[in-house]
Amino acid sequence: MQLQYFLLLASALFCIGIYGLVTSRNAVRVLMSIELLFNAVNLNLLSFSNYLDSTDIRGQIFAVFVITVAAAEAAVGLAIILSIYRNRETVDMEQFNLLKW
Amino acid sequence: MAQFFLQTVWLIPSYALIGAVLALPWSPAVIRRTGPRPSGYVNLFMTSLALLHGLLALSALWGQPPHTLSFSWLEVAGLHLTFDLKISALTVGATVLIAGLNLLAQLFAVGYLEMDWGWARFYSLMALFEAGMCALVLCDSLFFSYIFLEILTLGTYLLVGYWFSQPLVVTGARDAFLTKRVGDLVLLMGVLALLPLAGTWNFSELAVWAQTANLEPRTATLLGLALIAGPMGKCAQFPLQLWLDEAMEGPVPSSILRNSVVVATGAWVLVKLEPVLALSPVVMATLVFIGALTAVGAALIAIAQVDVKRALSYSVSSFMGLVFVAVGTGQTEVALLLVFTHAIAQALLFMSIGAVVWNSITQDLRQYGGLWSRRPISGIGFVVGAATLVGLLPLGSFWPMVELLNHFWTTEPWLAALVLLVNGLTAFSLTRVFGLIFGGPTKVMSSRSPEVAWPMMLPLTLMTGFALHVPLVLAQWQLLPAWSTLDWSLTTALAVTGALGCGLAGVLYLPGRPESIQFGSKSFQEFFAYDFYIQRIYRVSVVGLVDVLSRFVSWVDHYLVDGVVNFTGLATIFSGQVLRYSVSGLSQVYILAILLGMLLVGLLVMQ
Repeated sequence: MQLQYFLLLASALFCIGIYGLVTSRNAVRVLMSIELLFNAVNLNLLSFSNYLDSTDIRGQIFAVFVITVAAAEAAVGLAIILSIYRNRETVDMEQFNLLKW
Repeated sequence: MAQFFLQTVWLIPSYALIGAVLALPWSPAVIRRTGPRPSGYVNLFMTSLALLHGLLALSALWGQPPHTLSFSWLEVAGLHLTFDLKISALTVGATVLIAGLNLLAQLFAVGYLEMDWGWARFYSLMALFEAGMCALVLCDSLFFSYIFLEILTLGTYLLVGYWFSQPLVVTGARDAFLTKRVGDLVLLMGVLALLPLAGTWNFSELAVWAQTANLEPRTATLLGLALIAGPMGKCAQFPLQLWLDEAMEGPVPSSILRNSVVVATGAWVLVKLEPVLALSPVVMATLVFIGALTAVGAALIAIAQVDVKRALSYSVSSFMGLVFVAVGTGQTEVALLLVFTHAIAQALLFMSIGAVVWNSITQDLRQYGGLWSRRPISGIGFVVGAATLVGLLPLGSFWPMVELLNHFWTTEPWLAALVLLVNGLTAFSLTRVFGLIFGGPTKVMSSRSPEVAWPMMLPLTLMTGFALHVPLVLAQWQLLPAWSTLDWSLTTALAVTGALGCGLAGVLYLPGRPESIQFGSKSFQEFFAYDFYIQRIYRVSVVGLVDVLSRFVSWVDHYLVDGVVNFTGLATIFSGQVLRYSVSGLSQVYILAILLGMLLVGLLVMQ
């Protein structure tokens, strides 16, 4: 009965990340919430690989890839935020509503 | 040679039709150099040809049995439309009457329309009338009679609307067309209902069928009522009589033709349909009722008119009412005789007053006076016409009226009284017109009034001669009642009522008369002067109803039918305008929408 607890924890983390993703006004906090999502997914991958695939541990390989891609994505994300900030001098998500109807 | 003229009787309407086409090039926009007069001469020539042909055919036909010609017009599945011609002394004689009257009216128009440029249109339409009427009297088929009646209705519209720059002409032409059209449309219902019942539209075959037909009374009644509606409109009978009054806005020469013969086309069809109408006693009673009402009502209205043309046009309605009564009591021969004498008399009366109006300008009877010494020929023409129309002297209409009296006195005395009353009233109204125009002191409008030129004088005098010869012609044709069968007391009564009407009006109007005569109360007099306010009655009842209904239907179409379709378009536009606000520009909202979508799909998949 160990796997379920890990999965529950991962989904709780994921939901917290979602909450942060749609409610944060600071763009950096949005990126942080995305990191939280990735980590929730990684926790899932690790626990599945531990409990269901302990010989080949393919989940751990997945998690390694996710971590590297997430790092690159966070770097690009921060670059985008920086370039927006240079133009608009704010990182408030609610100021970025120019592309509407 | 005689046989040739008989075989080619169908040419008589064709001459006029050719004339109608030949007149058109002289319309002002086509031949600009010659002026419009050649169109009139061409039509006079063509009408003379028709008259000559008719006379030759009539003399060839005299004493011979009628024979028929038949052309196939259309043959489709189950329906064989033949164009039947009946060539008898009666029908060819009628074409001679029509062509003769048309010739005189056209000659009259040469003088009357001297200062008018629209001859091409006028003569073309007069020729169309002649063609239509000749074809109507020759054809022996109800279906083709209906077609010719419709062509004549269109002709009336165009001819009344001749001077279309006058607003009253336009409304008059409109009313003439619509009123007659309504009657014709109801006639069409009757015509269409008759075919399944009788299996034929041929008048002769209809008469044979009617002898043995065993129709349900209600069917026969409805059929008959539909069939008399067309002639009712054509003959300007109550309640469809307003158009004839307004048709007096047209030129006088066309009024000559219209009031003498065109109006009688309805009576012709009615006479031909008499065997079918006789199937239902209700229809015959309706005919008598309408005829009696119109005869008396129109005669009273004629007395109260101040417009000379209208004073005569109502006596046309009145005499057509007598024709209705005659047909309604089954006396078709008398009806035809009355139509004949009435045509001669009315043509003469209209020529006479046309000649007076032409150079006295006004049509208002109150502005005339004292023309007798200076206009003797017009005056004599009027007197002879009036004497031919009323039963006073043994001229013209005296004889059919005597025959009507002879017939009614024993069977239906109240109709005899009606004939006598109409005779007296018409005598009064015509003498009043005569007294106001030719008698009394001279007024401003009639102080200098020379007699008109020969193109108007010649047809007038010729017509006077014909009118004087009508009794001799009738005697020659053995159409007069024999002396032995004549009831002298009735004949005297007829002459006495005529003399009474003439005398009364003569006493009132001939000597130095008062400015205007008042009978009874003012409202009583105006009730007749405004012809029973029939225009207002139309406007409130039929016109009002159709007007309100059409406005309502137009509203429904404009707002409800169009509205439903436009609403879908508007709803699409509106929803697009509103739904675009879902694109908020906030990426976090998009993410939320994605998540909610996933959640929804997930829930659906779970179930």
